[in-house]
Amino acid sequence: MSTPPIGRRGFIKGALGVGALAVAGCAPGGSGQAVPSKLAAPSATASTVKGEITIWNRSGDLFKVFDAAIAKFKQAYPGVTVNHQQVDIDAKLANTLISGTDVPDGSFWDDAKIGGQAEHLYDLTDLIAPYQDKTAPYKISVNTVDGKIYGVPWDLDPGLLWYREDILEAAGVDIASIATYDDLLTAARTIKDKNPASKPIHLDKNPFLSQLWLEMLANQQGTSLTDASGKLRLDSPEYKKIFTWIEQATGDGLVTHAPYLEPADVNTLDNGQQVFVPWAIWWSFAPQNLLKATKGKWRAAPLPAWTPGGARSGVMGGSSFVIPAKAKNPELAWLLYEYLCFKDEGIQAVYGPNSVYPGGLSTSVPSYLPVLDPAKPLFQPIEALGGQDLWKVATEASSTIPAAAPIPWWWAQSVDYLGNNVQRLIEGKMSPDDVIADSAKKIQRNLVDRG
Amino acid sequence: MRVRTWLTPYVFVSPFFLVFAAFGVYPLIFALQLSFTRWRGAGEATFVGLGNYSYLLSSPDFWASLGNSAVMWVLIVPIQVVAGLGAAVLLANAKLRLRGFFRVAFIAPFVTPLVAMAQVWIVVFDTDYGLVNYLLNLVGLPDVGWLTSTTWSKPTLALLVLWKTTGFAIIILLAGLQAVPGQVYEAASLDGASRWRQFWSLTVPLVRRSIAFLVVVQTLAVFQMFAEPFVVTQGGPYGSTETAGLYLFDHISASDLGTGAANSFLLVLLVFGLSLGAVRLLRPKDGTS
Repeated sequence: MSTPPIGRRGFIKGALGVGALAVAGCAPGGSGQAVPSKLAAPSATASTVKGEITIWNRSGDLFKVFDAAIAKFKQAYPGVTVNHQQVDIDAKLANTLISGTDVPDGSFWDDAKIGGQAEHLYDLTDLIAPYQDKTAPYKISVNTVDGKIYGVPWDLDPGLLWYREDILEAAGVDIASIATYDDLLTAARTIKDKNPASKPIHLDKNPFLSQLWLEMLANQQGTSLTDASGKLRLDSPEYKKIFTWIEQATGDGLVTHAPYLEPADVNTLDNGQQVFVPWAIWWSFAPQNLLKATKGKWRAAPLPAWTPGGARSGVMGGSSFVIPAKAKNPELAWLLYEYLCFKDEGIQAVYGPNSVYPGGLSTSVPSYLPVLDPAKPLFQPIEALGGQDLWKVATEASSTIPAAAPIPWWWAQSVDYLGNNVQRLIEGKMSPDDVIADSAKKIQRNLVDRG
Repeated sequence: MRVRTWLTPYVFVSPFFLVFAAFGVYPLIFALQLSFTRWRGAGEATFVGLGNYSYLLSSPDFWASLGNSAVMWVLIVPIQVVAGLGAAVLLANAKLRLRGFFRVAFIAPFVTPLVAMAQVWIVVFDTDYGLVNYLLNLVGLPDVGWLTSTTWSKPTLALLVLWKTTGFAIIILLAGLQAVPGQVYEAASLDGASRWRQFWSLTVPLVRRSIAFLVVVQTLAVFQMFAEPFVVTQGGPYGSTETAGLYLFDHISASDLGTGAANSFLLVLLVFGLSLGAVRLLRPKDGTS
């Protein structure tokens, strides 16, 4: 047997050398990282601009709506080819932005996720500047990080008070009399007196949605989980007021605690146990598509205010469009989003009557203020709401929504603390003070301090 | 000429090492470096030394996730070994009628896609409309929050894992059993050993290596468990099914890549220690490894 040409020591030395080289070359955040820059408006005109873009969108009905709207965009910009794709954005977009491969030119995204990935996105401040004063202040604020705007604001999701008109009439409760959240408790007690089996107010059992709902109530009062500098402000009178109200409502047996539109929820919505659902405009999906026995009996009103004369709505959820810093044709993606969000023709294409929603898209309203005219509806009165003009209710409520602060990158992670503690509060396992103290401590330590 | 002679074997083995370096060594070194930094996937990484490790080791959430995984291990692995061994002994019996049918029946859940099974679990164990609570109600028992109470969420999830993976345990143990020579049992019978005695004194010691292998593999699987809680409970209620694997994923999905990398190395160390312990505990007494 011959002696190995490379001895054990030699091999180890070689391996260590290769390892050292690898360590030197593997450092994260090397020179290959693109620094997001400001995006400039394309100079070519609509008729001369050319190119191809890949656009990611959510699947489902909304994809079909945007598909039809993009077809109209292509008529306006005949040189632009749009590769419109249905993607599980929550699962794929963040990873794609980090890996930098196969990045789309533009994507739909939840407002709550944009702040966390701003460093992977184009700064759109200059492009949005001409429209900034005409866009809902809330949407500008949630898309802003360190003074720069990273998302093209799309929809506005005002909170409304959904209620059973027939039950209120039978109980002698006038919806106009519910002007504050205390009034709502009073009305709920009146209804429960008439029907002891009733638990009139819906509070949600899903921690994520309950935190989103909580932020709607906070937004109504002009506050949010953090201020513009990222400082946590959970320990505030506004949040204390909300938690105390929840404790009062649950303590008085006025609450149906059910997971959003799951069978237990739908059943109690349809059997008269639930009478009030303070929720975003997108709850309109329920009477139109899920509820059977009570279809046509639900109506929408502005949310009650926290103080007399206060704001009658806050935002719950919402989405915008982002342009990744590694997009191949970012200028063309901007043209598309400008068309969909700020041009009458594009907005009409999305919200107006279409083959998917013959009466128009009624699960949100645009965030572009010039089109939010109560007298000029984009979608039609809804039969499943007894023919109510939801557009009028929603646009009037929207006009009262205060601005907010940017949504912190860790918002979704904070559900493990705040969303869970809201659930404990509803179940009577925590007091308002405990929710504030425990959630603030954990969010500060695990999320804010690690930013 | 001499250079060519000594180089030839290295050229032959180099394809493996190149692929291994690209997809094994490089990610490992990258992740190790990452674990000492704060990096969100873009821009320059900030070196934080052992900051991510000390944060995790002092984090109640990290220990809670390990605790959840440990409870899941207790609920899954011992039961799986016992049930798997029992089923393997039955299936190894040549006199068993419909042996082929039972083999397929036991293995079927193992080859069924997890997400499909998880959806069935969600429906069957639903508090309000699930089949299990319906049956309980029929005999006058109240509803149980199988997936919504902190008491029952882990056992319900463990049951899913048992249902899904016991088939794998049976395959491993059946292979071990079939390697045992039949003469050993004949000799034991001639010496008057009962079936039970044969099981304890022959079967168990002779399949000890298979059991050790199974325990190590399942320990790895339980501490890396991700898909089951992700699909069925999303770690809830109140974090009661937030396993170590899911907790690790939470860092990654939040783009907190440095903490995620540190978490994965701590998990590797833990699983390595546990596996080593299991192998030593189950090592045959004849000294062979």
